[in-house]
Amino acid sequence: MQRREFIIGCSAGVALTAMNGVQSFAFAPENNSNAPKEIVIFLFLRGGFDALHFLAPVSDKNYQDARPKGLRIEENEGLALKNTLGGLDFKLHPKAAPLKEIYDSGKLAFIHACGLTNGTRSHFDAMDLIERGLVEKQGGAEGWMARYLQQTNLGDAMIPAVASGWEMPLSLVGNNLSASIGNVAEFDLKGDKRFAGILKHLYQGEGLLNKTAQQTLETIQYIQQQIPRKANNKPADYHAEHGADYPMEWQIKGFSESLMNLARLIKMDLGVHLATVDFGGWDMHDNQNYLFPQKLDALSRALAAFYNDMSTYHPRLTIVAMSEFGRRLKANKSMGTDHGYGGVAMVMGGKVKGGKMYGQWPGLANEELDNRVDLKVTTDYRYILAELLEKRLASTSLATILPGLEKYEALNFL
Amino acid sequence: MLEALLLQRIAYGIKPNELARLKEIGFEAYIDEQLSPVDAEDAELLKVLKSYKVEAEFKKNGRQVKETWGLDYLNADNKKLWTLYQNRKELSHQEKNRPSGEVVIATWLRALYSKWQLREIIVDFWNNHFNISIDAHDAMPILLPIHDREVIRKHALGNFKDFLIAVAKSPCMLYYLDNALSKASPANENYARELFELHTLGAKHYFNHLYNRWREVPGALEGKPEGYIDEDVYEAARAFTGWTVADGRHDEKGGHLPDTGEFYYFEGWHDNYQKRVLGVEFNSNQAPMEDGLKVLELVAYHPATAYHICYKLCRRLVEDEPNEGLVKQAAALWLAQKEAPDQIKQVIRFILTHKAFKASLGTKVKRPPELIFSYLRSLGGNFMPNQHLFWMFAISGYRYFAWPTPTGHPDTAEYWLNSSMLLMRWNMMQTLLEDWHKMMDIDLIALQPKAVRTCNEIVDFWIERLLGQAAKGETRLRLVNFLAAGGVEDDIPYGEEREVKYRIYQMVTLLAMTPDFQYR
Repeated sequence: MQRREFIIGCSAGVALTAMNGVQSFAFAPENNSNAPKEIVIFLFLRGGFDALHFLAPVSDKNYQDARPKGLRIEENEGLALKNTLGGLDFKLHPKAAPLKEIYDSGKLAFIHACGLTNGTRSHFDAMDLIERGLVEKQGGAEGWMARYLQQTNLGDAMIPAVASGWEMPLSLVGNNLSASIGNVAEFDLKGDKRFAGILKHLYQGEGLLNKTAQQTLETIQYIQQQIPRKANNKPADYHAEHGADYPMEWQIKGFSESLMNLARLIKMDLGVHLATVDFGGWDMHDNQNYLFPQKLDALSRALAAFYNDMSTYHPRLTIVAMSEFGRRLKANKSMGTDHGYGGVAMVMGGKVKGGKMYGQWPGLANEELDNRVDLKVTTDYRYILAELLEKRLASTSLATILPGLEKYEALNFL
Repeated sequence: MLEALLLQRIAYGIKPNELARLKEIGFEAYIDEQLSPVDAEDAELLKVLKSYKVEAEFKKNGRQVKETWGLDYLNADNKKLWTLYQNRKELSHQEKNRPSGEVVIATWLRALYSKWQLREIIVDFWNNHFNISIDAHDAMPILLPIHDREVIRKHALGNFKDFLIAVAKSPCMLYYLDNALSKASPANENYARELFELHTLGAKHYFNHLYNRWREVPGALEGKPEGYIDEDVYEAARAFTGWTVADGRHDEKGGHLPDTGEFYYFEGWHDNYQKRVLGVEFNSNQAPMEDGLKVLELVAYHPATAYHICYKLCRRLVEDEPNEGLVKQAAALWLAQKEAPDQIKQVIRFILTHKAFKASLGTKVKRPPELIFSYLRSLGGNFMPNQHLFWMFAISGYRYFAWPTPTGHPDTAEYWLNSSMLLMRWNMMQTLLEDWHKMMDIDLIALQPKAVRTCNEIVDFWIERLLGQAAKGETRLRLVNFLAAGGVEDDIPYGEEREVKYRIYQMVTLLAMTPDFQYR
């Protein structure tokens, strides 16, 4: 664990003055930095993403009977996929068409019936466990990504880990190498130019507040150094590449902005190695017939736009998306679904052996369900993280990063 | 300066008149006074609430309209509010959101100006404990004044079981956790699950691995299960089917619900057969609402609930990881007083007078409300919030009545301290004092007594005012240094009036950005 010590002993005021007039500070993506080259993004679909409304074996009578029209994928409307589990007729919700394109191009894989093997139907416990890489509650454990960072030589990366948003997710809590950045274009300290230097002196010593303050001040310096600027020295507007078209309707704007913010951070060559993005609001106990297609449409278009925007980076980019659990097979009486169990994960990237579904399909008949009520979990979510850690991040400390994981079976989606 | 530290905890920061009162009558008497608030004796707040005006600009029938509004919906009855809801299709966005906007403004005005500060701290606790987000349903912004007044504020220091029943029947909660739509069968489980997990027993007492083996829950066979399982959630959800809002919707039985905007029990949606909750058998075909009321009594009186809520109260009032002994003693009192009309008040008094409370002063990291209000209150200017403050809070992570998940805002430093939020905290001190959003009327120079002249004296004056105690480490040194700007520290700040004023404003801003000011 090391980082380039940037502008030590030099106040931010001086550093900023020195930069006046620099119009563009963007580097080419590949420079001589010895920071790790891989970029792994963890997208958390918070709230319990309904895997069975997204990708399901449509002609299964158990499926058709358990869900009213509007909460299921119809045989004649779903998008047929190649290489499904057990050769069953899995179809994708029609609103996920942009994702199907990536699947068909061989860069997106689905892992079905996966998740946390703990059995909890509590959002908050389930999210907590997944973000900490655990199966059972353990006091005071840091996030799995934080544990990876502690084990890794990060070279001269300036911002090796970033949460694209205003919050720091638990997966990154427990180290002082991660920055949360809501909007990179506004990531600057207001007020007198001497403030940064003074704050650096005042926030000395141990403790979360001091550590966070030091790290924040450094992050401000790095960003102010690297951000491309207009002629008037203000941060330049961001322009997506490769014709990427981020959806900007009000329901999706926030998520699109997080993705654009992340794209921008990666392109600023700050050494971003791990990143998290959140997209919540999947807890649809009612009105799901209306809400789910709308939100899925947004998710699919935004992710596809991001993937396009990041084309140059595909050989070293991997995105993994999952939720804390799936939803109940049988719908409730208010056109919604309650908390379930088995879910679906998506893995996207240049090195992904996509165009294929992975995992084991447990079936939807009464005796095939978990507690006779929910889709079973046949793939421990940690197997997905372990494969990612081992194959993309060359990690040899799986048992430390995912405590209690003795061995795992690679699904070979990478 | 113990008193100043106390006001950072049981009030939204230091204010000279309250500091004087606390010193005059002593800590325990002050707590007692604060725990028996009398609305009529809140002159400054009443004046502010009465005179508050907002300049509204909106589009109506294609025309731009300008109106001056007071807080006219804050005390409105259900009928007035529901009429607004019924007419919503003809109203602009601003008009529809007036009631919730007024509650938010009033919440801030109370935090800033109310004499009954401890009540505001406790109301904020319950708003988080029984979190709702008004974005979840169109009627919620309109009905928020009723929820705030008749549910949260009415019971904040009262009896928990009464409180829980009021919450369960509050249209805002019925919409937020979807129980308004729950019908047999299958019931909608959202409310029932969060009732156990968040409102009462807590996730610590969720025995999910037992799932349906209720007899194996410790204590179950003696009729005292220590916790709950998924089947308890299923059964409780059945018990609450039919608890809804009279909002005129189709009842799916060929008719409509009444259209009053009040709580409504509809037998036609209720799952009337036998149930088993927390090891207790419910007979089939109970009287109307009996199933739900029975569940509420079981969870309200459960020892796990006492522990869970006392833990959270101690986390709010004392420290992030509260002492186990304190929590258990508070929980014992909670249970012993479970039927007392002032149960919650008694427990809060117990916690605040416990030795662990005083020992913990100055160790909690302020969340954005404590940071912003303590800044504004200790500066001492005249501050009239407008909608910009809502966005300032939102970007700092605090969303009044709009936190999306039912957990409420987190209450530990770990959540509030990350690079994005810390930067926001620092920058907000600047934005507020420079008054970017036209909310502040203050003249720092005029507030300084004549005798305060030198750089040292000016810094000491503001340290006393904002921190109420000596600054730690290099804080004072750096502030004096900044103000002196290379000049003599024991002399008046050199330079033109405009420059000196700039440095004083910036020095005070900087003081609020120091580690000292982040704790309460």
